[in-house]
Amino acid sequence: MSYFRATDPLPLQSPEQNKLHEFYERLGQGRLVTTSCARCRRTAWPPRGFCGECASDEFTWVDLPCEGTIHAFTIQETGVPAPYESPRVFAIVNVGEARIFAPIVGRAATAVSVGSRVRLSPLHVAADAKGNPRYLIAFEAIEVEA
Amino acid sequence: MRQVALVGAGVTKFGVRKASYRDLIWEAGKACFDSIPALRPKDLEGLVVGTVMPERTAFQSHISSMAAEALGIRPSALSARTEHMCASGTVGIRYAYAFIAAGLCDLVMVLGVEKLNQPVSDEAILNMGTGVDREWEACHGLTAPPCFALAAQQHMARYGTTEEQLARVGVKNHTHASRNPNAHFQKGATLEQVLCSRMIASPLRLFMCSPITDGAAAVILASEERARDLTDRPVWIRGTGQALDGFTLSSLPEDYSRWPAMERAAQAAYRMAGVGPRDVDLAEVHDCFAIAEVIAYEELGFCEKGDGGRFVEKGRADYGGDVVVNPRGGLMGCGHPLGATGVAQAAEVFAQLRGEAGLRQVPDAAIGLAHNNSGMGEHVVVVYGRDQA
Repeated sequence: MSYFRATDPLPLQSPEQNKLHEFYERLGQGRLVTTSCARCRRTAWPPRGFCGECASDEFTWVDLPCEGTIHAFTIQETGVPAPYESPRVFAIVNVGEARIFAPIVGRAATAVSVGSRVRLSPLHVAADAKGNPRYLIAFEAIEVEA
Repeated sequence: MRQVALVGAGVTKFGVRKASYRDLIWEAGKACFDSIPALRPKDLEGLVVGTVMPERTAFQSHISSMAAEALGIRPSALSARTEHMCASGTVGIRYAYAFIAAGLCDLVMVLGVEKLNQPVSDEAILNMGTGVDREWEACHGLTAPPCFALAAQQHMARYGTTEEQLARVGVKNHTHASRNPNAHFQKGATLEQVLCSRMIASPLRLFMCSPITDGAAAVILASEERARDLTDRPVWIRGTGQALDGFTLSSLPEDYSRWPAMERAAQAAYRMAGVGPRDVDLAEVHDCFAIAEVIAYEELGFCEKGDGGRFVEKGRADYGGDVVVNPRGGLMGCGHPLGATGVAQAAEVFAQLRGEAGLRQVPDAAIGLAHNNSGMGEHVVVVYGRDQA
């Protein structure tokens, strides 16, 4: 027997595999949404299928802005797991009322600072084992014209 | 509630070990039983095993049963595995403590074990991603260093904490580890070495981080009555607390330089023990990264909020200071075999409060504290005493 290890580090996003599949469908269209509890109206980040405040499992989707500002960030040069690229910029981004963890991608990623403005730039990543397309959140710096 | 004490403890050599998961269990068991010859495996009524990811690294689940057989323990009251990421071992100690305190049994071993450098070391970093939220964090390649880097960034911006102050934690803990033959690192580290070490995630450098380590440790807990029969120097569990604020970075308060869950866990432990921060002689705290120890000084009440950098810079966290923090070398010096760490901390406190810590002995140690975080918003604390309540 040869050594065999298969690991899929990406979330399953299709309707058969994830109650929150609509999040990913909209992300693929370039939109950022989150859940709003149908009973108590609290919005949450990350999106959730169960409200921790009122225990309802019913929700609607609400749009978030596609731009935000960097609240905190770090640049990781060593120890980024394969198959992710280094250096990698990880940030906490304020988007409307949500505080979102995401990578910063694009040419200007390593030049950001706290307060930098960023815009949603979803990544189209590897399909799942059944061929369903998948997307991940990412932001890119909004470059200021010199 | 009955009182409960540690009556035995043992730790394996930590490092990149030429040893299997089960080899490490045997080593820890041997070291622990060697410390208390009056007890043999068949005398124990329970086993709790703290371990995080053997399913990935050893392709093995069902751990408590596997370990019980390996050590010749046949539980008649308690068999359990505890998994709480980095706090798994201490969570296991609390579990066993509660069972004994409630009167359900008298003698339990708590074992912590982790084999991370397997089957190939390169996978270890990818495996560490299982400790953060798969769907919203790990899928982006997030692991622990960037999380704590955010805390360091904010602590430096808010309180003026410097890179050099963070580096001093590394120097202290590597120095302590050089007196600990079981530590992963044995050579000590100078300030220059720490400050020049390669950047991991800004601003945390290699020597401000704990390494990927294999190891195991075991302690034996006994009820008051059995403890007094077994040893003339039991180490009493005087208090404990645990608190969680959240799991994802988004769920935590936006100021990552403050960890209120640690303060709450510590306050609960102190209150139960009837002591305060000033009474603590030594503290084994969770220095997964240097910033974690700096913030721990503050949240455990050893200094004011924001003063953690100055506290370590002035030698107040070392021998001759206010409290000796991480006398065994901490996670940074000993390494961090996830499930084993909390149990190894307890073993150090056990040795210290019995006056058996040799070159690392904290003079006249009477109160010891052990702390772990599983993340910035998740903390557990145990307070031990040389003397009974």
